[in-house]
Amino acid sequence: MSKHALHLIVVMVSIVAMAGAGLALKARFIPESFGLYGAYRADAIDEEARRAVRHGTNASCFGCHPYEATIHLEGDHTTISCEFCHGTYSDHITDKKKTGTLPVKKGQEITTLCLRCHNTEIKARSTIVIKTVGMPDHLAKQNVKVTHTCNQCHHVHAPLKYINEAKKITGLMEAES
Amino acid sequence: MKMVEPPQEMDRRSFVKKVLGGTIAGSLFLVFPMDGDGINFQEGLPSGELPEEIPGIKNRRYDIHNQKFAFIVDITRCIGCGSCCVADKREYQVPDGNYRTWVERYIKDFDDQVYVDCPDGGLDGYQKPRDDIPVDARDTFFVPKLCNMCKEPPCTQVCPVGATFISPDGFVLMDNDRCVGCAYCIQACPYSARFLHPVTRITEKCTWCYHRIRKGLLPACVEVCPTGARKFGSLNDEQSEVYKILKGPGVLTVLKQSMGTWPALYYMGQRLEVI
Repeated sequence: MSKHALHLIVVMVSIVAMAGAGLALKARFIPESFGLYGAYRADAIDEEARRAVRHGTNASCFGCHPYEATIHLEGDHTTISCEFCHGTYSDHITDKKKTGTLPVKKGQEITTLCLRCHNTEIKARSTIVIKTVGMPDHLAKQNVKVTHTCNQCHHVHAPLKYINEAKKITGLMEAES
Repeated sequence: MKMVEPPQEMDRRSFVKKVLGGTIAGSLFLVFPMDGDGINFQEGLPSGELPEEIPGIKNRRYDIHNQKFAFIVDITRCIGCGSCCVADKREYQVPDGNYRTWVERYIKDFDDQVYVDCPDGGLDGYQKPRDDIPVDARDTFFVPKLCNMCKEPPCTQVCPVGATFISPDGFVLMDNDRCVGCAYCIQACPYSARFLHPVTRITEKCTWCYHRIRKGLLPACVEVCPTGARKFGSLNDEQSEVYKILKGPGVLTVLKQSMGTWPALYYMGQRLEVI
């Protein structure tokens, strides 16, 4: 045995030890799903996909509120989401049980809500898409008090419901007289 | 010559066994939600009947390598009501002052000066006209903004820890466990779609509601849009509105095309001034 053999053994053993330590550290610090699709943790995709859904759809509201559903689906506001005005599904229902009451907008809040979309003064609103009114001109034109809120004439779910009914009735009355 | 009688009865039995077994296993495959990617599709879903808004995803095996989605924003239909912003804030409980999506108001005058404002990200809608502009407006419009889901995203290239990435189905997502909050991606994003969450100190961004898409639902902002200004769909579905629009002759533009980010978010009726 040459006198240098010990050196060789020391070098070999340290290489093996360092490689082992390196592999152990690599296994310890690289996440399990890393590199499955690319240089990132593939499990992050599943984690994002598992996030709880907070908004339902209009259909999830209509299941328990058939009366509102009938009116909402008949009128001109069918494309409006229930949850935009009333709040999210998950604030109301958890595990098929009612866990919270969603606030109902009242008085001037309703007018503010209506004018988010229906305000003529905001010139950017496309008239092809939506009918707009100027306040308080609209109230003056309709011969009502300027303190009136929108929902005193317009049903919020089907805006022309009462208007059309009134027109029908007055039409009949005119025909009779 | 002696014929060897094959054990016919046994053969038939094993045949029937195998066929039955296969059939039952096969039908169970269809009955149980296929969570090939480890997703329980009913988890965190609102109860009740939910329509399949994006066909071909609900209760099916999700082939992550074979998906293509597109988002189209129709500027001509946006009325700036801010429903999308409200829905987005509620869906993710976004902290005040930060926005995953927002709606900008553009006003152009006859000298081609452009005035842009975006009070509170459009969360309260646009209740008042701008009165600080001395000139007559020529063109006014709203521009909803969100993550552009670039095919060449600058944000993923700069992340030092691999915490943001482009998934095989084309979404730029965040790994909330890996993010160290260095905010390089926030600086890299040319569309300012990212922000640092003030409490968790990790970056957040619009994911086009990835968790809803994987359950067959539309993104929350598309769900609540009253005018159909935001459209989303799968390009694997030839009946979807976005497929028809993308295949059709209409003019579609992307934001900052010259940057070569190749967004999957398209705009209809977009003006040159919008960046």
